[in-house]
Amino acid sequence: MTKQDDLETRLKIAKSKLEIKHSKADTKKGAFLGNAFKLGTELVAAVAVGSIIGFILDNWFGTKPLLIILFFLFGSAAGIYNVIKTAKKMQENKE
Amino acid sequence: MATNPMHQFNVYKIGPEIKINGIDLSFTNASLFMLISAISISIFLLLGTKDKKIIPGKFQLLSEILYNFISKMISDTAGKKAKPYFPFIFSLFIFVLFCNMVGMLPYSFTVTSHIIVTLAFAMFIFIGVTILGFVIHGFKYLKIFVPSGVPVVLLPIIMIIEIISYLSRPVSLSVRLFANMMAGHTMLKVFGGFVISLGLVAGWLPLTFSVALTGLEILVAFLQAYVFAILTCIYLNDALNLHH
Repeated sequence: MTKQDDLETRLKIAKSKLEIKHSKADTKKGAFLGNAFKLGTELVAAVAVGSIIGFILDNWFGTKPLLIILFFLFGSAAGIYNVIKTAKKMQENKE
Repeated sequence: MATNPMHQFNVYKIGPEIKINGIDLSFTNASLFMLISAISISIFLLLGTKDKKIIPGKFQLLSEILYNFISKMISDTAGKKAKPYFPFIFSLFIFVLFCNMVGMLPYSFTVTSHIIVTLAFAMFIFIGVTILGFVIHGFKYLKIFVPSGVPVVLLPIIMIIEIISYLSRPVSLSVRLFANMMAGHTMLKVFGGFVISLGLVAGWLPLTFSVALTGLEILVAFLQAYVFAILTCIYLNDALNLHH
């Protein structure tokens, strides 16, 4: 009985050690690369989508340069907003 | 033939031309490599689940690790409600992963280095998640465009920004995967070309570089499949649990 208990406690300790190791390795390796790409594309995609919406609306209403400029600005704002959201999520995961 | 680094991305027909209603449905090298990935996934998972032992063999161990990895990822990012979508996310992850990895073999074709493929994945996810949100929450789902605690004056502008941000999801999802794969493979080919043109004298430098790049590309191939799957989980989470 005592032998089994001993084994179980040792197993628990070993497992908890392994988990700590794993979580450390995850945050250190590779993840930062993915995060960097994520932030970049998030910003660019929103600007592109905003500009495309502006372009389409311009063609509809015939207000050629106006709406594309406006929606470019909206797109940039959305891009920065996206980046802030993603960065916040990353920080939450870290803590 | 190999001098042009973009040559590897050419899509060409294999076998006869098939046209139905003016839509070109011919079998191409892209379809061939998708098929190869799908078949290798099936073989891998069939081998992994063939005889279930208490002490697992190599294949069983690998597939069990994969299963645990995805199920943990889903429960961490999307919670318990997302469990029914496990098969979808698992197949998505493993298919993207295998397409990327098959593309790493010499003389092969990388399916995910074409934006039309990744955009098709991303649009499927985007439309599916949007429909799911409306089915679960009804018109309340539109609340994700209206964040709480915003002054009424700013609301129209914030709503436009939120809508653009929502619509940019499939674009960023697909462009990320496509750009990573295409850039990496082009770079590998360019450095491979340097090895040939510099010859025995100075060709060793780009050779070592391209060995290192191959390692990096394998990391990127895995990472991008992971990011693709985890973002799908995050979007699913937004549709399942409205927080705003």
